[in-house]
Amino acid sequence: MPNIVCCFKWVVDEAYIKPSSSGKIDLEWAEHKLSDYDRNAIEEAVRLQEAYGGSVTAVTVAPSDATKGIKDALSRGPEKAYFINDEELENLEPSQTSAMLAQVIGGQIDYDLIICGEGSSDLYAQQVGPRLAEKLGIPCIAFVKKLSIEGQRVIAQRKSDEGVEVVSAPLPALVTVLPDINNPRVPGLKDTLAASKKPVVEISLEDLGTEYPALITDKGLRAASLVRNCTRFGSSPEDLQAFVESIKKTGVIDRG
Amino acid sequence: MYFKLTEEQELIRDNMREFARTYVDPVAVEIDENSRYPEEVIKKLAEGGWMGMPFPTEFGGAGVDYLTYAIAVEELSRSCAATGFTMSVHTGLACGPIALFGNEEQKKKYLTPMAKGQHLGAFALTEPGAGTDVGSATSTAVLDGDEYVLNGVKTFTSNGPVANTYVTFAWTDKNDKRNGMTAFIVPRETPGLSVGEHFMKMGIRASQTSEMIFKDCRVPKENVLGKVGDGMKIAMNSFDHGRIGIAAQAVGIAQAALDESISYSKQRIQFGKPISKNQAIQWMIADMYTDITAGRFLYYYAAYLKDQGLPFSKEAAMAKVFCAEMCSKHASKAVQIHGGYGYCKGQKVERLMRDAKITEIYEGTSEAQRMVIAGNVLR
Repeated sequence: MPNIVCCFKWVVDEAYIKPSSSGKIDLEWAEHKLSDYDRNAIEEAVRLQEAYGGSVTAVTVAPSDATKGIKDALSRGPEKAYFINDEELENLEPSQTSAMLAQVIGGQIDYDLIICGEGSSDLYAQQVGPRLAEKLGIPCIAFVKKLSIEGQRVIAQRKSDEGVEVVSAPLPALVTVLPDINNPRVPGLKDTLAASKKPVVEISLEDLGTEYPALITDKGLRAASLVRNCTRFGSSPEDLQAFVESIKKTGVIDRG
Repeated sequence: MYFKLTEEQELIRDNMREFARTYVDPVAVEIDENSRYPEEVIKKLAEGGWMGMPFPTEFGGAGVDYLTYAIAVEELSRSCAATGFTMSVHTGLACGPIALFGNEEQKKKYLTPMAKGQHLGAFALTEPGAGTDVGSATSTAVLDGDEYVLNGVKTFTSNGPVANTYVTFAWTDKNDKRNGMTAFIVPRETPGLSVGEHFMKMGIRASQTSEMIFKDCRVPKENVLGKVGDGMKIAMNSFDHGRIGIAAQAVGIAQAALDESISYSKQRIQFGKPISKNQAIQWMIADMYTDITAGRFLYYYAAYLKDQGLPFSKEAAMAKVFCAEMCSKHASKAVQIHGGYGYCKGQKVERLMRDAKITEIYEGTSEAQRMVIAGNVLR
C-alpha cells in the first residue's frame, strides 16, 4: 500500500489579474487558488489511494497566510498536510522551494511516490518536481498522462513530441503530471467541512534551520499590451536594421 | 465589525461556483428550453451534501450556518436560477419547517432523507383563490379516527411534480382565522394526493410547478407538523427563512447579468471603440455593481441575524424586496446593453431577464414584503 505525497502551490488566481488603464497591475485584492496542475496531482494521488490503499499527504511551501490553501488542498482528499511556512517566504526560486520540500519530505515523511503538477500556474518553471527528485536521489518521470502502480514499480505513460512513451521506475519515485491525466473532482460541502479538522504539521524556517533569502526581486509588474504599428519589414539587412531601430524606439527592448 | 467571510465560507462559495460551472452551465440552456427537471444535477447536489446544508448532521444535514447556505444559493443561481430555486425551496420551505417545528420522529423519518437529498421537498400553501391572502384558503382537514382527511386544491406548488415529501396546510377549524389552520407532512405516495396541471412559466422553466390535488387524502395524526392550529405561524415563519434564499437567488441572477454585461460591453465595438467606453454603459454597470453589493450585504445581514438567533423577519423582507427589484431592473438593463442580441435566444441575458421577474412574485410579492416591513416599522 503506497504512501503518496502530493505537492501543491497556492498561487494568485489569474481571474483577478486586471491591469489598470496605466498598465500597472495591483495584486493587493487578488484572490489565490490552488495551482491548476497541482489539482491534477492531488486528484491522481487520491485516485491511486482509492485503487491501492495507502495514504495521501499534501505538502506546500507558502507564506504564513496561505491557510485557506491548506484547507482547499485537504478538501480534495489528502488526510494530512505539511505546511512549510514563514512570513518571509515570498519570491522563492524553484531551487529553494525544492530544497525545503526535500528537507521535509526526506526527513519527516515515509513516502513511496511523490506527485507534482507539471508546472505552476503562475511561473510554470517546471523545476520543482525534477529538482526535488534529484535532491532526494529518486527517479523522476515528467509529462505523465497516465499512472499506475505494479508491485514495487510505478508505470507511467508520458507524452512526448513523438507520441506516448510507457516507462516504469522503481519506488520510491517522483512523477510530474499533465492536466490530461484526470478531471479533478469538485469538493463537496462535507469535504470542505472535514478539511478543517484534518491534521496540519506546521514547519517554520527556524525548524528547518536554514535561511532562504529572496533571490528574485520584483522590479515592477506591468500588463502585456498589444499595439499594432502597421509597419512592414522585409528580410534584407537594411530592413532588419530598421526593425531593430523600430523596437528600440518603442521601448520594447532596452536601448543600452 | 468585520466585512469578511470565513475561509471555510469562501471555500464553500468557490466550490459551489466550481460545481455550477462543471455540472450546471453545460445543461442550463437546454433545461430552460425544454422545461426539464435536471434530475442528474440534483443528484450531484445531493452527493455533494448541498441539499440539506443548514440542518443538523444527526438529521442528514451538513450543519453549516444559514449564511453559508444562502451564499451557495447565490452561486448556484448565478449559473441557473431554476436549479438554485429548486435547492432553495427544498431547503428553506420544505426541510425548514420540519427542522424547526417537527418532532424527533418526524425529523428522523422525513427530514433525514430530505436533508441527504434522497427525497425532494415541496411546500403546498398557495391556492387558486389564496395567494398573498393566505387566510382565504379553502382546503380542509377533518379528523376521522386516527387520521385527518384532507380536501382541497393547491396551486403554483414549486417542485410539485417531482417532490417526495410535501408540507401542506389546511383548515382544521375554519371559524378560527388565527389558529384554525394546521400544517401537515404528506408523503407523495399517500392515496388521494395527485399532481394536477403543470404550469409552463416565463422563467425558471427548469423548476417544476404544478397544482397539487388533495381528494379525501388520509394523513395519519402523527403527520401534523407542530401543534394543531399552528399552521399560519409555521407558514409565516417558513417564508421568513425562504425569503433569504430568494434574495440570494436574485443576487445570483443579477451577478450573472453583470458578468455578461461586463464581458459583452468590452468586446462589442461601435463607433470604433468598445461600448464600455461610453458613459451611458458605464453608469449602468456602476449601478448594477452598487445594487448587487448592497443587496448581497442585505441578505448577509438577514442571514447573520437568523444565525445569531435574533429576529430577522423585517430584514429578510427588506433583503427580498430590494434584491428582487434590483435583479429585475438590472437583468433588463443587461438586455439593453446587449441590444438586439440580448433579446434573442442564445444570449444568457435573455434567460436572466425572464428568470428575474419571478423573484418579485414568489415567496411573498414585493408588495407583501413592504407590508411586513411597514408593519414592523410602524408598530
